Amino acid sequence: METIKTDIVVVGAGPGGYAAAFYAADQGKKVILVEKDPKLGGVCLNRGCIPSKALLNATKAIKEARESAHRGITFAEPTIDLAKLRDWKNSVITKLNGGVASLAKMRGVEVMHARGYFEGSQTLRVETEQGQKFISYDKAIIAVGSKAALPKAFDLGNPRVMTSRGALEVEDIPENLLVVGGGYIGMELGTVYAGLGSKVVVIEALDSLLAGADADLARPVVAYAKKAFKEVRLKAKVLAMSTVGKQIKVTSEFNGQKLEELYDRVLVAVGRGPNSKDLGLENTKVTCDEKGFIKINAQQQTEDPNIYAIGDVAGGIMLAHKASKEARIAVDVITGHNSAFEKIVIPAVVFTDPEVAWAGLTEAEAKKQGREVKVAKFPWGASGRALSFDRPDGLTKLIIDPETERILGVGIVGHGAGELIAEGTLAIEMGATVTDLAETVHPHPTLSETLMESAEVFFGHATHTFVKKAAPTA
Amino acid sequence: MDVKLPKLGEGADSGVVVGILVKEGDKVTKGQTILELENEKAVAPIPSTADGVVAKIHVKEGAKISIGALLVTLEGAAGSAAPAESEAPAAAPKAKKTKKAPVVVEADDDDVEEADEEESFDDVEVAAPPSVRKVAREIGLDLRRVKGSESGGRIVMADVRAYIQKLIKLAAKGKAAPAAAASAAAPAKPVAESIDFSQWGEITKKPMSGLRKVIARRMVESVTTIPQVTQFDDIDITALNDLRKKFAADYEKAGARLTLTPFAIKALVAALKKHPIMNSSLDEATEEIVFKDYYHIGIAVDTDAGLMVPVIKDADKKSLLEISKELEEIAKKARDRKLSADDMKGGTFTISNQGGIGGAHFTPIVNKPEVGIFGMGRGGLKPVVVGKEVQVRLLMPIAISYDHRLIDGGTAARFTVDLAAAYAAITEADVKL
Repeated sequence: METIKTDIVVVGAGPGGYAAAFYAADQGKKVILVEKDPKLGGVCLNRGCIPSKALLNATKAIKEARESAHRGITFAEPTIDLAKLRDWKNSVITKLNGGVASLAKMRGVEVMHARGYFEGSQTLRVETEQGQKFISYDKAIIAVGSKAALPKAFDLGNPRVMTSRGALEVEDIPENLLVVGGGYIGMELGTVYAGLGSKVVVIEALDSLLAGADADLARPVVAYAKKAFKEVRLKAKVLAMSTVGKQIKVTSEFNGQKLEELYDRVLVAVGRGPNSKDLGLENTKVTCDEKGFIKINAQQQTEDPNIYAIGDVAGGIMLAHKASKEARIAVDVITGHNSAFEKIVIPAVVFTDPEVAWAGLTEAEAKKQGREVKVAKFPWGASGRALSFDRPDGLTKLIIDPETERILGVGIVGHGAGELIAEGTLAIEMGATVTDLAETVHPHPTLSETLMESAEVFFGHATHTFVKKAAPTA
Repeated sequence: MDVKLPKLGEGADSGVVVGILVKEGDKVTKGQTILELENEKAVAPIPSTADGVVAKIHVKEGAKISIGALLVTLEGAAGSAAPAESEAPAAAPKAKKTKKAPVVVEADDDDVEEADEEESFDDVEVAAPPSVRKVAREIGLDLRRVKGSESGGRIVMADVRAYIQKLIKLAAKGKAAPAAAASAAAPAKPVAESIDFSQWGEITKKPMSGLRKVIARRMVESVTTIPQVTQFDDIDITALNDLRKKFAADYEKAGARLTLTPFAIKALVAALKKHPIMNSSLDEATEEIVFKDYYHIGIAVDTDAGLMVPVIKDADKKSLLEISKELEEIAKKARDRKLSADDMKGGTFTISNQGGIGGAHFTPIVNKPEVGIFGMGRGGLKPVVVGKEVQVRLLMPIAISYDHRLIDGGTAARFTVDLAAAYAAITEADVKL
């Protein structure tokens, strides 16, 4: 039996895992990256962020073409070649897969496509095509991620009931699509299918869409969804599903009424669960919480001194860029640096139409903490750039500490909010004050001006909006 | 209405909140202590300026606040008498039972102690860019100690450099900044580690009160900065106790209890007058010895909350009766936590009388910046050789701890002898009303 010795083994090659492997190799460590999928990049690259954004971008053109009619430019109705769309989306993924693989090769990171199984605190068994191997390592980093949850009641063994993974394959364009869950995944993919022409119904158990985002930021998305989707049902519940011929019969409850409907496909987007099972963790000292997320400290260390965990499987907010940051922290700690996941701002972006993005403290969180904040808002209706896009449905707001005037949080909804939030994140991390933001010249005409102008709103002298001051006499 | 921090007295315009005695929803009456503020060497109770119900508390324990700072907001209830229920000690920390389950022990790093005028420790989060936070973490620097020079108090690398340079300078001077100097050298302050006591049996955890933290810090400061020696003796108080008994009834009628403490104060003042060095202080900054022409005697009072030391001012100018009355007053005030900052300031020597409780010799700790402390044990009948025969005499064990930087053993011994003599010199004329 073959035993391979290495400094670090990374299990899982998503945006956390490959970032950890590359960074460790850059620090001069011998690294093996173990990935059970034949392709590198994890959910993000293969079945998440990247394909969903590719599809969103592609279908956006359909909507924009239609909307340009009132601006005097009319296109013929689009024809959709689904196979070609899928191929293009897959080509994007393949290009990125290849990029990650070659980056690994250039760094001398050994990639093993195999299922990894912990035999002990310092031994990982891998089942490769060439047979079983044992890796003896100093430190392991677990980055196996998460997968979409499919509650047993919905798991009919019928591919027409999909999770995000199936939905991103775009097998066909269902005439009627039910999206269960009004969170960011449900809303993004609902937008894709609505763009392709499906009649989309969204069922959400809570009383709002995009839970986590401030209500004023979610509002334009809700307005869009009400227009683009057939129906949005809040405080509603799916009770049962069954296969009826080529359709799915869905029993649900809404407004105290029981509904029975037929859908061509159902997308279940009710959350994600950790992939911590079948890893042999019971042979190590690693412990998990009751939901199966691996327990870690601020240094990404598990209860097992030789094993670290990062990304979705370690719990917290399940976002690729959080995993990548944790990758750096884990490697820094392993290589003897004093590092910790402390006071790190993780921005969140929802790629709906329009996009919603926020970083740092939200207004809702401030209220929950009983923390006094000031909020300055700049509506995009007053932005020349937004009007030239024909998308005045946006808002930029700052959450401000009233005493120091520091920017504690930034929230943006509107076209391109995902790109704009980066400046807000930097402002928060740098400890910038409202004055810093207001005094920084922003180029005209761009949407970035909305950050500067919302800072000016705080002082009551924004150029492009008027803030009524208290009782001006004379 | 809003209750703000009032003027605290001479030279003191700020302090650190060490205890909050009310909680939101509590009924308070005008004059009731709502929080305790530590400034200079005293913990001052801050009274409410009005009757009402606490609607909101605006300060946190550990926060540094100045005159005019908003403390609490009171609502309604003008003039209505507070019901007895509000007498319950509101701030009593809740004890929590713990068993074997892992307990997250919060790192108590609100180290008020090291905060000098420049370093504020309020609860505003540190504003510093990631690069500065990274360096701070690497060298073990708590950025709350660093004053940010940029807008909104943002800390930049130059501020960290200036702070470290200041520490190095202090360390080089070897001045009275040992704590600061140590943290300049490294993250040297040993990290307090929690021991899991629950592994040996059931335990209960209780947070330290603000007062307890202050006491702990003062004691550590005293024993780590003062080389202390304790001198023991036994004083024959047979005659004195007879005098006390003889006049106790008269004092009772005059509204005072005549205990041994007023005599101790009288005798102590007489001994201090003979040994001015015992009534001095060391100015560590200027390396001068400060002799005081006044005799303010601190009295250690044992309260439920912890030790407090109110001061009897100008004890040399007061009669035994006056002192007896004042002793009772301050002890009551201490137990009710109604002492003002001024009540606890300016002591020149402290008395710790354990006689009422029991016990003999003990080693009291000098109440810095005083240079000595007088500890009294419980008097008892002992066989004593007088001339050539054995007599039964009432002996009181005493202890004098002193600052050996200023006082040498010979001086202390002479002082102790003179103290015993001062006891013996108290006559009927001194006691008689």
